[in-house]
Amino acid sequence: MTLARIGVFVCHCGENISATVDCAKVAAEAAKLPGVAHSVDYKYMCSDPGQQLIQSAIREKGLTGVVVAACSPRMHEPTFRRACAEAGLNPFLCEMANIREHCSWVHEKGEATTAKALDIVRTLVAKVKKGKPLQPIQVPVTKTALVLGGGIAGIQASLDIANAGHRVILVEKEPSIGGHMAQLSETFPTLDCSQCILTPRMVEVAQHPNITLYSYSELEGLEGFIGNFKARIRRKARGLDETLCTGCGLCTQKCPTRRIPSEFDAGLGLRPAIYVPFPQAVPNKPVIDRDHCTYFLKGKCRLCEKVCPTQAIRFDQEDEIVEAEVGAVVLATGFDIKHGDFFPEYGYGRFQDVIDGLQFERLASASGPTLGEIRRPSDGKVPETVVFVACAGSRDPAKGIEYCSKICCMYTAKHAMLYKHKVHQGKPFVFYMDIRAGGKMYEEFVRRAMEEDGVQYVRGRVSRIYERGGKLVVKGADTLLGARPLEIEADLVVLATAAVANAGAEDLAQKLHVSYDAHAFFAEAHPKLRPVETNTAGIFLAGACQAPKDIPDSVSQASGAAAKVAALFSRSELVREPLVAVVDRQAPPVYSSCVGCFLCQGACPYQAIEKEEIRNRDGGLIKTVAKVNPGLCQGCGTCVALCRTKSIDIQGYSHEQVYAEVLALLNRGEGDA
Amino acid sequence: MPEFRPRIVAFVCNWCTYAGADLTGTSRMKYSPQVSIIRFPCTGRIDFMLLLKAFANGADGIIVSGCHPNDCHYSSGNFHARRRWIVFRALLDFLGIDVRRIQFSWVSAAEGAKWARLVNETAERIHGLGPFTDYHRLRGMGVE
Amino acid sequence: MKALQDKARELLAGGAVQVVIGYGRGSAAAARAVFVREASAVDALVLDETCLQNLAVYLRKPEVRRLGKAALVAIPAVLRTILQLAAENQVSDGSLIALAVTPSGGEVVPLATLDAVEKHVAGLDFPRGAAEEAELRKFAEMGLQERRSFWEEQFSRCLKCYACRAACPLCYCERCTVECNQPQWIPVPAHDLGNLEWNVMRAMHLAGRCVDCGDCSRACPVGIPLQLLNRRLVDEVYERFAFRSGMAVHGENAMSTFKPDDPEDFIR
Repeated sequence: MTLARIGVFVCHCGENISATVDCAKVAAEAAKLPGVAHSVDYKYMCSDPGQQLIQSAIREKGLTGVVVAACSPRMHEPTFRRACAEAGLNPFLCEMANIREHCSWVHEKGEATTAKALDIVRTLVAKVKKGKPLQPIQVPVTKTALVLGGGIAGIQASLDIANAGHRVILVEKEPSIGGHMAQLSETFPTLDCSQCILTPRMVEVAQHPNITLYSYSELEGLEGFIGNFKARIRRKARGLDETLCTGCGLCTQKCPTRRIPSEFDAGLGLRPAIYVPFPQAVPNKPVIDRDHCTYFLKGKCRLCEKVCPTQAIRFDQEDEIVEAEVGAVVLATGFDIKHGDFFPEYGYGRFQDVIDGLQFERLASASGPTLGEIRRPSDGKVPETVVFVACAGSRDPAKGIEYCSKICCMYTAKHAMLYKHKVHQGKPFVFYMDIRAGGKMYEEFVRRAMEEDGVQYVRGRVSRIYERGGKLVVKGADTLLGARPLEIEADLVVLATAAVANAGAEDLAQKLHVSYDAHAFFAEAHPKLRPVETNTAGIFLAGACQAPKDIPDSVSQASGAAAKVAALFSRSELVREPLVAVVDRQAPPVYSSCVGCFLCQGACPYQAIEKEEIRNRDGGLIKTVAKVNPGLCQGCGTCVALCRTKSIDIQGYSHEQVYAEVLALLNRGEGDA
Repeated sequence: MPEFRPRIVAFVCNWCTYAGADLTGTSRMKYSPQVSIIRFPCTGRIDFMLLLKAFANGADGIIVSGCHPNDCHYSSGNFHARRRWIVFRALLDFLGIDVRRIQFSWVSAAEGAKWARLVNETAERIHGLGPFTDYHRLRGMGVE
Repeated sequence: MKALQDKARELLAGGAVQVVIGYGRGSAAAARAVFVREASAVDALVLDETCLQNLAVYLRKPEVRRLGKAALVAIPAVLRTILQLAAENQVSDGSLIALAVTPSGGEVVPLATLDAVEKHVAGLDFPRGAAEEAELRKFAEMGLQERRSFWEEQFSRCLKCYACRAACPLCYCERCTVECNQPQWIPVPAHDLGNLEWNVMRAMHLAGRCVDCGDCSRACPVGIPLQLLNRRLVDEVYERFAFRSGMAVHGENAMSTFKPDDPEDFIR
């Protein structure tokens, strides 16, 4: 090993440091430290002349390491490491001694402050002396993205990635892509028809040469790491040969089992057992619902098979598992709304005319079960009074949902407007807690509902809904009028039920090793600065699977996730900082000091620790030891502190480095205070 | 007899407390110069042996600080660290080593003021406890 | 004793195992480990109140592994050690037969799989004696300085002979932290500081793993009550994390997992 020749560069930072720290003294004292070959102070180290000072010292004095005593490494570490690299020194042999934020700015001028500055310099000199040159880690990248979920977020992400020239596999669990947006009537704040703006995008997905669409399919498993995932996709049996089916629809017309509640119509319409969810479905190929098909239940019928002009029906078709190698994953699995007996006080699920927001969308939709006429489910009458209840479940800690569902204020205003546009003499009421209309043209939209369409907004919560003489009595209070009790006789009640995570979200998150919050929404890597990344490198988030979101937000996030994927795919190799954990490897017969207890494996937040079997030439197992996958490791070092044999170390914060720092910090040399 | 100036080593994570201490500096808040920071990627990286080494080499007090629960840059390093410290404290206490010498805390990148307060209060407490001679005198013969 | 000898004879004669690791009569009062490899030699096996050693310590020794498949005479603590070793990937299913016994005699239950060991352990009690409870209580009532003095006196006698480590079936690491010299975590000579550091490290490395068998204390040639340290942490881990080591084949380790609501009253 060559003897250490460390250069110490003490920065005055104008007067930011020198006002309280005697920089010349620090440089002079540092020069006396063992291994320090060069030590100077200068007004501005980060300036061009300052950096040149360092670079020429590296070249002329043959420095083996550099300590820049200046500001926080969070400020200028990249600057100085780059300067060192340009002068031929491995950048990881440059460390910063933070004598500004952690010293000159927080202490008064005096000997103690200068002494502390020197302590810090001595600590970092010791660290650099134990440092090793490190090379960036290169990981190959498979330039295919897996997008999970074919709602508007998944569609947008797929199109953006595909248009950037990369291959996309889009997996949708339902028979058609489109998601909730396909169910919507009109969209706020412009009131343009949802399907009119969505379906061209759906068609584009189907026709895009870079996109492979697996509808009626689900993710079975995902292994691997950023750039190198292996996905297993279950293609559920549709019951037909998709290559033969032309989508003519004869089978769906002839199917004798026709009274199944339509999922697409939120249970308000009916569909046959072999069905396409809606006319503009992509792909426009039917699915046999095996839970309702007469042939699957009773062994007889096969009418669809008989009428099919291309003999495409396959009753014996089985699920198929497809494997795919992908480099990145975009999670766009969307959301659901709260259903069922969550609101016993509102009679939801008990009274036919207490419906949820998605059901109202279908009533208002021109393609819906009423062809766009607002008729209530019980008797088909046009309702004269409709009460809309916002925050049904949301912002209700007593019900376990503390958060705001974000979309309800806007869609409730939209619903009330649509109702008023269709039933001119109708009386819409909206019960609300607060109106949250932050967004471009949103506040104006709500105002329009109130002022132009005469929607009556009542600030207060609904306590109970019950039936009386063919009417739904809505009991609430108007808190703006001194909590005056209020009773409205309504014909129809629409609950803006809370937006919640999809039922399978938790399972999926566990499959992908992605973290999720208490409500099973997927967790972003950082709430502000990394909102589309997850904590698992290479897996990104788009849309309402992360938190309730409206369409513009979902689309923006989807494009954001796509940009991240495109950036990842812009190079054939991924380059990462080498600050990762490494497990000891030695020559035979030891191979590794690791004893293979795998306590580290349990502690790793990134599943980065694998089992490696060391075998002899005959294939006999010698030992099983831990191995860190540098593609997955993020460098926290939790495994390092846990390892009893000290077999795992972390580059950049190695045992030798941190140990030397502790000793150097506390052991002041002779003479210095 | 010269005035006792405690030496305190702070073991902090890079992402929260180190950045929080940076903020203390940027905000020009003052605190005791008897505390020096050693930077780690995460509290999960901090080996309990390093704390013993600090005491053995003359530290009178120790601060260990990282991200608040659920804010860990590595999602769970601080949770693992917390378990380690629970057990470590129990053991030290059982051995008659005063755990008041070690201050554990969560200081976020936004809590510059908390960092200053934490340092000052810890320095004051350690000052009150006096030099950790009980431990330092163990550095008998033959210790490097 | 007879039941155990019969079982051992049957296993050896039938070729189910190549060695029975059990207790034999030593020169002193305590029983010592014997390795019986012939059916004709099973008379060497004894079982009485002196049979306390944790024989699982031999499972990972290469010299013992070379003898072939083993049947291990297993008092309750040994059964838990087997499970803990399994949880740490150190014994594999089918590599041994545990002969579950109690030192006071009674029936011998052969357990051929790790699952069977787990089920058997689930039905056992691991009571702690009143004297042991009283001892821990005594420490809790001592002042800090009193505890300090107690342990300082104890550790001052430590020879750094590492007999505690050799006796412990969970100290199976091939390279112990004390053997690391880059950096030198623990000073080599036996002096107060190094002795303290060694013992803190040993206890920390056994936290969440120790099954409280007591062999460390029995092995210590100068009589340091080492088991007390481990036992204090066994309690801490149980009280704070509701966790007991050596209860499940695929058990997690208390120290390599966490709960978001672990106690943190000591953190500001």
